[in-house]
Amino acid sequence: MNVYVTDGTEACFYTAAFAAYADKDCVITSAKRFQLSVGAKVVRVETDAEKQERVLRKVRACDPRAPRDISLILRRGCDTREMTALGYLRLLVRTGAPVRARLSHPAVIEAEQEKRKVTLEAHRFTGFLRFMEGQNGVYYAPFAPDNDILELILPHFLRRLADQPFVIHDTARGLAGMYNGKECVIVQTAEKVDVPLAESEAYFCGLWKEYYRAVNIAQRPHEKQMKGYMPVRYWKFLPEKRGT
Amino acid sequence: MIDAERLKILTESAKYDVSCSSSGSARANKKGGVGNASPAGICHSFTPDGRCISLLKILLSNRCAYNCLYCPNRADADVPRACATPDEICQLTIAFYRRNYIEGLFLSSAVDGSPDATMERMLETVIRLRKVYNFNGYIHLKGIPRADRLLTSRAARYVDRMSYNVELPSEASLRLLAPQKSKESVLLPMKQLALEKRADAEDKGKRRRTFLPAGQTTQMIVGASPETDGRILRLSEAMYRKFSLKRVYYSSYVPVVRHALLPEKCTGLLREHRLYQADWLLRFYGFTAEEIAGEGENLPEDCDPKCAWALKNMHLFPVEINRAPLEMLLRVPGIGSLGAYRILQARRYAVLGFADLAKMRVVLKRAKHFITCDGKFYGSENPTTVRTMLRLEDGAAKYEQLSMFSSPEVSLSALTGQL
Ligand code: SF4
Repeated sequence: MNVYVTDGTEACFYTAAFAAYADKDCVITSAKRFQLSVGAKVVRVETDAEKQERVLRKVRACDPRAPRDISLILRRGCDTREMTALGYLRLLVRTGAPVRARLSHPAVIEAEQEKRKVTLEAHRFTGFLRFMEGQNGVYYAPFAPDNDILELILPHFLRRLADQPFVIHDTARGLAGMYNGKECVIVQTAEKVDVPLAESEAYFCGLWKEYYRAVNIAQRPHEKQMKGYMPVRYWKFLPEKRGT
Repeated sequence: MIDAERLKILTESAKYDVSCSSSGSARANKKGGVGNASPAGICHSFTPDGRCISLLKILLSNRCAYNCLYCPNRADADVPRACATPDEICQLTIAFYRRNYIEGLFLSSAVDGSPDATMERMLETVIRLRKVYNFNGYIHLKGIPRADRLLTSRAARYVDRMSYNVELPSEASLRLLAPQKSKESVLLPMKQLALEKRADAEDKGKRRRTFLPAGQTTQMIVGASPETDGRILRLSEAMYRKFSLKRVYYSSYVPVVRHALLPEKCTGLLREHRLYQADWLLRFYGFTAEEIAGEGENLPEDCDPKCAWALKNMHLFPVEINRAPLEMLLRVPGIGSLGAYRILQARRYAVLGFADLAKMRVVLKRAKHFITCDGKFYGSENPTTVRTMLRLEDGAAKYEQLSMFSSPEVSLSALTGQL
């Protein structure tokens, strides 16, 4: 059995898929650590532009929207993401046409589930992301999502806050989207950065916490629902929940 | 700049307005401006009572000339009073918006002075927010009954949504509990806005539709007065038809004020929950109010309204999952709109059996008694057994604590109609 180890990028996944497509019980993974079973052979995959392009062309020919599906699946924050993507790709190529609507096929069920986890989290963070005003007028928003969604949420904030320079920082992956009011670039960062805040920041943050307290209807506690919609692991970056 | 004390006074009583939805508007960001509206609506936080925070809900003033019995801000009440200037509201909205705390502003007010004077200040606030602060985010304005109709229709050109709250489901109850309001004073502006919106939509010369893009909503308090669910649903149905309302919100009564004419206790949340389920059937499942509950009837407590309807109409079931039309799939207890859609999609490629439905995560606990899969039936044919089983599964008792109060529209909760 072959274990194809990729560097986690989409390009490298497509390169690996070139060989893995017909390699029956192989595994593709980008995990840093994994358990090797007896008789497994590790194949380190280097991105190869030509192989990648050939697979991608085939996928696109079957379904022009499939590359986006696969891209979403590969953003999952779990180690089996490459296998889910491979299962979907195999079914797609075997069928030669879009398979998205075959909702009773196991590979499609799995792909849809994983995609949904990514898009749901991206949607949630359009709401849960919090900016702080920096001393230099640049707004800073740190977050640590389960999935790699920085690129998915950036367009939303670029449209919405077009006149506001900002940095959105995925502290878990060390990635930041930086926008200066004109252009946006994604850069690698340290996990922690020091951002001096504007003087008025504490004041508005205080008003927000006051508002949060005031709108709660105390006669009707329903913490379980609150935590269901707003999981505790996200609270670290929410001023209204921090330290509660 | 507004201080914490006034913020508290002005937001505490605005919270009872359950509408927090920010959906339905696709206002774009104009050059040099801040914000846009997101058609799907976004929740920015959740409070410990399980409700979504999407908008900054605030009163311009809580000094009121009126005396609605159930309201903590009524003229006779001894409560701290405060008001904010239009500019203070604008600054706060922008500061919250830039930090991504909120989707926009929900502005409301007590009747401070006269209805016209109040409405004028609200209008001034929204115009200032749009023109001076260049704000393109979401604005919901609560209309003041009896204000001049010109003010109302001007406001509608700047905001995304307006609402006039019916509050009580009959004229008699209004007269008793809210003496300065009347059914007319609320329904007239709703009608006027509906007509103007229609005229705006028919005006082909204009490219951008700017008149109340997210339409109108209203709210009724349930349980403060004696009207039955059947009566309430008929009123909702009529308003959906006549005024093309986007939503009717039902708010089960919370006694904030004590008075001999008012009930002492909270209305159970189960009643509110059942009304939302029934409302869903009206809007998305093709049911009429008549099918759901008789005029003098309340909704059953022990099972959801769709189950209740199906149990009364057993002769229409079971339906074959591979052939039934969409309208009928939607009437099967336990199959929601998402489930029905999945079935329609999947059956184009393969004949669906019972196990396939389970894999597709269609909930079958209730549905199995009402469907056949490829000719096979897996439920129980004895209506009495079915009835008992459905009741046990619905677990009505647990809803006593479940707040359905303004659940977020984005999540796939019970509100998305998985009945
Ligand atoms: S008009 Fe009635 S409901 Fe509104 S603030 Fe005044 S007393 Fe309260």
